[in-house]
Amino acid sequence: MKHAGGEAARQGAEAQAAPALALRKVSMSFGPASADRVVLSDIDFQVAPGEFLCVVGPSGCGKTTLLRLLAGLIRPTGGEILFHGERVEGPSRDRAIVFQDYSKALLPWRTVSGNIALSLEACGVGEPERGRRIGALLAKMGLERAARQHPSQLSGGMQQRVQIARCLAQQPRLLLMDEPFGALDAITRQTLQDEVARLAAEHRMTVVFITHDLEEAIYLGDRVIALTANPGRIAEMIDVGIPRPRSQLETREDRRFLSHRHRLFGLLQGH
Amino acid sequence: MRRFLRGIAIPALAVALWETGSRAGVLPMDTFSRPSDIAVAFAGAFADGSILVATWQTVEAALAGFAVAAALGILVGALLGLSPALERVVGPSIDAVRPIPSVALMPLTLLLFGFGLQMEAWVVAFACVWPVLLVTAAAVRGIEPRLHDVSRTLELPFASQLRRIILPAALGRIVVGLRVSVGISLVVAVTVEIVINPRGLGYGMIIAQQSLHPELMYAQLFWLGLLGWGLNVALTRAAGRWHAFAGADAEV
Amino acid sequence: MRRLPQLQWLGAALFAAALLIAWQLLAERQIISPVFFPSPSRTLGELWRQAAQGELWKPLGETSLRMFYGWALASLLGVVLGAAIGSSRAAREFLGPLLEFLRPLPASAIIPPAILFLGLSNEMAVAVIAFGAVWPVLLASVHGFASMEPQLLEVSAALRLSRAQSLAKIAIPGALPEILAGARVSLAISLILAVVTEMQASQPGLGQNILLAQRSFRSPELYAGVVTLGLMGFLINHAILALERRLLRWRAAPA
Repeated sequence: MKHAGGEAARQGAEAQAAPALALRKVSMSFGPASADRVVLSDIDFQVAPGEFLCVVGPSGCGKTTLLRLLAGLIRPTGGEILFHGERVEGPSRDRAIVFQDYSKALLPWRTVSGNIALSLEACGVGEPERGRRIGALLAKMGLERAARQHPSQLSGGMQQRVQIARCLAQQPRLLLMDEPFGALDAITRQTLQDEVARLAAEHRMTVVFITHDLEEAIYLGDRVIALTANPGRIAEMIDVGIPRPRSQLETREDRRFLSHRHRLFGLLQGH
Repeated sequence: MRRFLRGIAIPALAVALWETGSRAGVLPMDTFSRPSDIAVAFAGAFADGSILVATWQTVEAALAGFAVAAALGILVGALLGLSPALERVVGPSIDAVRPIPSVALMPLTLLLFGFGLQMEAWVVAFACVWPVLLVTAAAVRGIEPRLHDVSRTLELPFASQLRRIILPAALGRIVVGLRVSVGISLVVAVTVEIVINPRGLGYGMIIAQQSLHPELMYAQLFWLGLLGWGLNVALTRAAGRWHAFAGADAEV
Repeated sequence: MRRLPQLQWLGAALFAAALLIAWQLLAERQIISPVFFPSPSRTLGELWRQAAQGELWKPLGETSLRMFYGWALASLLGVVLGAAIGSSRAAREFLGPLLEFLRPLPASAIIPPAILFLGLSNEMAVAVIAFGAVWPVLLASVHGFASMEPQLLEVSAALRLSRAQSLAKIAIPGALPEILAGARVSLAISLILAVVTEMQASQPGLGQNILLAQRSFRSPELYAGVVTLGLMGFLINHAILALERRLLRWRAAPA
């Protein structure tokens, strides 16, 4: 893999060329005018195509709101969001979102295959191509044996895999993940972290990954944005600078990893 | 086994007392009749098919009314559930019409349609539409917002959303509403027959009573009880199987 | 969606008004038959006439009285039987299946036997109403008493309350929410059966009025009667809801 500095420089050049995401002075408030609750304020950053961006922050700092804005499920009260140069006006198949509460985001009455099929049906993919793609995704996410089971019969980790598979079926250019592994046990979490990192690299997807886990953010991200709460503002943007592929054991002991962790910890503690 | 015997004990005792009391002349025959006579009348009504014809007439009306109510109730309920604005505008009008006792509409439908299947079916429809409508609206309204997000992200057109996500998600609760409605349909149909409409089991009972055949009346009453009970059991069984199939999410 | 509640009410009122106006126009232009669908103005006019000339109140009172007697009887029976059955396992086993069989029976099916015994009389009506209206209260009571918080039973035992005291201080208040909900359904059923029995037995009341109106094709009277019954249904439902709210103030707001 290229040296960290070169990597960052190349990404910087790409970002100049055509950012996948550009947020310009984005702010978000809720509530009737007089009693507005400002959740996000003055959010301004860019994401290069193929970049893996992590966003960390304490609870209530507006991370989920930010993700929903990027998905187009809500519109910002101030500023604008550009996706590959075009204004984000609403949700799109191009920007897939993996929700935190996976059990609620899957269709309980469909099997695993059926859930994945939903995305393909929406994209207008007919048989036999549909069956082929489902098979490929099941294999990729290790879900072959669960193909005919219903979500309620699966563990949390498996359900989350199904959700990811369903999102991948959309063939999105942007993958948004809202604390996807928060409810899972440590081992499953680490396995899925590595899987997501591998998928992102393989498909060259742009990823925006929300988490409250600092180490997860540093481990997965090319860059990490730290948000503070009330209102949500960008406190810091850190270039992780650790080459890929990364490993759970070694990367976490890397001195760069530790220094970033130190820095972020201090930042978030202070608020 | 013991539970069955205990459950049967009191009714069996009552029937025995009834029979002996009647034979002893303590219970007047013209009002109480006699279990043995009732059994004979029961068998006879089946033999000549009269009770089956009457049953079909009642069921026909109940089914027709229920079908209309289910279709209307689900359609309007879904629309109201999907659009809070629509519900706010239309809701109060529905709340104003809903408390009208369905039986109060009997003279009205009689005026409009005369005696027969139609007037009965319409009364049944009026009575049955409200549970379905309200439950459907609540079910559609209460669909997991996450699923809504998913369908928006997938850019599903409305018809597709309805078919793939909204109706399946709401189906569990809608089925509960339908179950209630089915029960109501039978009750209302019989009521219309007893009071005005000359067809079906209800009318059969009135005729039996008026023509001084109490044993036939009681036989029909027993049959009606059996029908209602059987329907209830069938619906509860079906509901149980439905829940097993659709998973825990269909509950509530 | 920052709409004021007043605006919502306006929208709802406009919708209802639009429906009535449409009906009025259709009836006046004779597009729909005024015999079968009298215009709202004629219906309301008739209703007003009945109210002003005192013709409304007697039948209204008769129906209401019948309904209340039947309902009161049903409620009393329902609570007493419910308490007995709910608190006794043996009772549940012996009577359960019988009740399960009787419950789905249409109450109106009891009318022919009731006529046999009591003739076409007010007593018949009250008996039928009571039979039909007892079920919701009975079932609610059985459930309410059977599913009492076990800790409360232990508290009652610890305090060494007598059977009667336990019943009055713990069992009944505990089961009250369910009983009241059952009573509300019971009252609705009572109204329906009151109307049914009036029509059947030619007893004076609102039910008989609309039946007579139908026979002589006096449709404004018919519709006026239907509207009156609708209003009655609406009012009694809300009356019990208000009663529930008052008596059950201690209940935490539902999730």
